[in-house]
Amino acid sequence: MIVRREIEERIGRNISIGAVYATLERLETKGYVSSFTGEPTPERGGRAKRMFRLEAAGKRALQVSEQTIRNMTAGLKSRWEGI
Amino acid sequence: MRPNSPPPFACWFLESVVPAPYREAMLGDLFEEYALRAESGSPLSASRWFWSQACRSVPSMVGSWLRRPDWLISMSIAIGVYIAMGTLKLAADLAISKLVAPRPMTEVVLAPVVFLATTSISGCIAARIRPGATIFLALMAMITVAVSIALKVCSIPVPWWYQFGFLTLGPLSVLLTPAVFWGGQTRC
Repeated sequence: MIVRREIEERIGRNISIGAVYATLERLETKGYVSSFTGEPTPERGGRAKRMFRLEAAGKRALQVSEQTIRNMTAGLKSRWEGI
Repeated sequence: MRPNSPPPFACWFLESVVPAPYREAMLGDLFEEYALRAESGSPLSASRWFWSQACRSVPSMVGSWLRRPDWLISMSIAIGVYIAMGTLKLAADLAISKLVAPRPMTEVVLAPVVFLATTSISGCIAARIRPGATIFLALMAMITVAVSIALKVCSIPVPWWYQFGFLTLGPLSVLLTPAVFWGGQTRC
């Protein structure tokens, strides 16, 4: 729930919980995140919470992605301002 | 249904389509947020939000089932049940058309009953063999109805909502009937 809310706040759009879990499952298969199950709570209808942790491989992949985005967007602003 | 608990049909629907590894966590998240929304707003808007989450999650869930290594087994079971039940339905349709031959309106009334009975039983059989097979079976039922509508298989003129009912209620009954009957662990 926290993951979905944070994404929604950052992108300003509603996203489906199914999309979040499907993505997290893919990331877990690739070894980028790991998950563990918490204790069931009454406010969740007796269901357990699943928590995700970023792994070293995930951190490296994130750094590479961030650098790629930086490289792709470098100098774009000066071009927009010229239009 | 407890106070501040989400719509049971949406719950059953999600329990049918969400793969087991994260079914509990996902339903728990939705349950928790539903309760918060129902307390801060109205239960109606919270229910609407819950249904929208359930429906919008379907494409991701189908993708998730297809990415699983055992999706071919689930698909094969769905095809097997589809062929077996499709044959039975054809036989039932033939019997009905022979019995009520001069009365097409009786056929129009009986057709959805036979169709829904077939899809419900198919869903139950597929779920008994392998829970993941129901989502493929529901997709196959939807495609079959869509193709039948496009090819104008029904010779009797019927209103659009009649056809739309087949298109939506058929796949839903495949998914919901096993969850209603055998969803013993459901906590909605």
